[in-house]
Amino acid sequence: MDDARILVVDDDKEIAGAIEKLLNLEGYEVIKAYNGLEALDAIVANNIQLILLDIMMPKLDGLSTTLKIRESKNIPIIILSAKSEDSDKILGLSMGADDYITKPFNPQELTARVRSQLRRYLQLGGMGKALCSSQVVIGGLCLDTDKKQLMVDGDLVRLTAKEYKILELLMSNPGIVFSAERIYEAVWNESAYSVENTVMVHIRRIREKIEINPKEPNYLKVVWGIGYKIEKL
Amino acid sequence: MAIKLRSFSTHSVTKTIVFILVVILITATVSQMQYVAYRDINPDCLFVREYKDSEYFFRNDVYNSFMLAYDILNGKEVEQDGTFYYYIDDGEKTYTNSENTDKSFFEQYDKAFYAFERGIWSLGRNTNPRPMPIRIMYNGLNNNHTVYIAFTDEFLEQKQKAWADDRSKLLPYAAGILSCIILSLLLIAFLVCVTGRKPYDLELHFSKLDMIYSDILLVCFIMSSIVWVVSVARSPYRRSIIYQAQPFKLSISQIYSMIWVAVITAVISVVCGLILLSVVRRIKAGRLIKHSIIFIILYKVYDFFKSLFDGRMFSRYPLTKSLFYRQVAFITASALLMFLAFLSLISREELFFLIFGALEFPIIYWYIKGNNKTYEDINKGFNESLEEQMRSERMKIDLVTNVSHDLKTPLTSIISYVDLLSKEEGLSESAGDYVKILSEKSNRLKHIVSDLFDLAKSTSGNIQLDLENIDIKKLIEQTLADMSSEIEKSGLAVKVKLPEKSVNIISDGKKLYRVFQNVIDNALKYSLSGTRVFVELEEADGRAIATIKNTAGYEMDFTSDEILQRFNRGDKSRTTEGSGLGLSIAESFSKVCGGSFKVDIDGDLFKVTIGFNIDSRRLLT
Repeated sequence: MDDARILVVDDDKEIAGAIEKLLNLEGYEVIKAYNGLEALDAIVANNIQLILLDIMMPKLDGLSTTLKIRESKNIPIIILSAKSEDSDKILGLSMGADDYITKPFNPQELTARVRSQLRRYLQLGGMGKALCSSQVVIGGLCLDTDKKQLMVDGDLVRLTAKEYKILELLMSNPGIVFSAERIYEAVWNESAYSVENTVMVHIRRIREKIEINPKEPNYLKVVWGIGYKIEKL
Repeated sequence: MAIKLRSFSTHSVTKTIVFILVVILITATVSQMQYVAYRDINPDCLFVREYKDSEYFFRNDVYNSFMLAYDILNGKEVEQDGTFYYYIDDGEKTYTNSENTDKSFFEQYDKAFYAFERGIWSLGRNTNPRPMPIRIMYNGLNNNHTVYIAFTDEFLEQKQKAWADDRSKLLPYAAGILSCIILSLLLIAFLVCVTGRKPYDLELHFSKLDMIYSDILLVCFIMSSIVWVVSVARSPYRRSIIYQAQPFKLSISQIYSMIWVAVITAVISVVCGLILLSVVRRIKAGRLIKHSIIFIILYKVYDFFKSLFDGRMFSRYPLTKSLFYRQVAFITASALLMFLAFLSLISREELFFLIFGALEFPIIYWYIKGNNKTYEDINKGFNESLEEQMRSERMKIDLVTNVSHDLKTPLTSIISYVDLLSKEEGLSESAGDYVKILSEKSNRLKHIVSDLFDLAKSTSGNIQLDLENIDIKKLIEQTLADMSSEIEKSGLAVKVKLPEKSVNIISDGKKLYRVFQNVIDNALKYSLSGTRVFVELEEADGRAIATIKNTAGYEMDFTSDEILQRFNRGDKSRTTEGSGLGLSIAESFSKVCGGSFKVDIDGDLFKVTIGFNIDSRRLLT
């Protein structure tokens, strides 16, 4: 796994260089490309396991490149862009990207996300499908309802009983928003009264365990003024 | 010396004294004239030494003697006092009061001798050759008539003596009046010179009187003059009963009359004098005409018409200018044509009537065509400005996006390389410290840039809103729970007071979370340690009102407006972390989401009030 080959595509040579160094330090091999067309050539020429892709590039932009790659390949693509609007992220992910990181990024977060994607791709073999009926899989999360345990990118994560129940509720109903009261009633089996804080504290703890950047969660999201949900990936 | 003289002459005391003096002199002049009038002395005696040359003699004695002669000719019975001799011959009869009827007898009284012979008048050698009106000279006389009239020397001498006597009586008064007039004219000239001047500078000074419009002042002047003339003319003018008494004495009523005239003269001359001096000051300043109602009105009217034609009137509406001119031209031309058509109709010139009527059509055509073109231009201009506005709006959005990208790209390099540098081994201790500082500052810069663009986007209206029905009570609870570690770290107690029920509003939850996060964060950052932060929510008049109150840990020497201005930090030293945009973003986001945002500063109390309309639809279910 440590000899994984990563393609970094950015028209800014300094940024590409910096990412190369960062990933080299983590032990990955890096190939650089400075626009979309070069990236497509590099994919053909090399055995690439992951792509870091900028959006705003000359010749062929990142979104078009993603579409082109997805025509033939299943390699994880992480978009790296200065565009930070939600709509940009949604667009990028819907084009087939697996993750979206905004510039300027935190180097630690970048390497963590790269590691996460690689693990899912290499170790768990493409992901997206449950290994057996007792598993609920969402992105890099894999909840085993029989063993009552959670795997994040293949790593076992220890959860308390309440945390597990909350995750089970949310992960079995991805994309559905649950209010704090409903979560409380379902998990605690008591009538809910002024429970927002209790639920929120649990949500935050779960986030710290499953998210790379708990401040910008990928999976467990707060729907402000309404409730909580697990994103449907 | 000159300066001393100037400061003396322009001193207000001097001017006042001179003014009073002038008033006294004028009053004295008028009183003396009145006195002379009461004494009933003919002022002619001052100018004509000989009684026989005087107008008075001519109009009274000579005229009467002529009349007498005609009366005699017409056969009337007359009495004669013997002041003159006459001889009248009408060709048939003679009338005379003289024993001697020879012409030479009459001629010896040559100071006042008039003869009519063979249709011609002749005079004595020393007779004043004053002409008589023709109607009197040839009243019924013909070539056959002979008339001699001669005034006796005794009569003339007696009259001359009285005449000279009158003259000697009048002379002192005349001298008095004359000197009063000359003196007052001199003083008035002085006042005219010094009025408006002050000893200490060379400026022209104005009094309150000078603020009154010139024409009003002029009317006052004329009115008071009329008042004076009327009151003097109506003052009781009675001849003294004891006129002939020696020495001469005024009657009581005459004395009263003189006092009355003197008083009114003094008052009116004060009024008129002040007005006159004001007028002089205006002339000196060149604003006599300009500072008048008539001038101002006329100028405004003139200016209005001028503005119609020199383009000022339409400088703000250049597009409608041609419409206006065309309208004026159309109305004028049509009115003229109608008038001409009317004339030809009256004079039964049917042909001309038809011509004028037909001429109206091209004018209407020209008018409509021209207007259509103007309307087209206006629409074009309007569309252009609309497009321009949209283009600039788009440019603004592009600018934000591009600048954002251009800032973020180098920042990405900086952060990445700083991180690489920090992982470098073998750095000296101080170099390690520097890298740490670089890392902190570049991260702070990242936050500032991010905040700045959030703000830029929301203030330029270029922000995506995800409006939905949310519970603001729940949102506040979530925000507080989300921030619980920060709250704990701050050591401040947060007192929360929320309603029991949910409070539904229509808003963008993510943005509203940023609002509350920023406001609470602000409260945590700048509160006095050990104090409480109050977060409250209540419903009032269909609105959800959230208030966040805290006690500032420093003196807030700024206004609520200043704190909301971008980049204004609560503490002006700008040392603590953060972009300084938190409250600005909160305000901008609240407004974008359809709410209100208000900051109140009362001593050390810092209070933020956020209001949203409650969505009542949810309340019904």
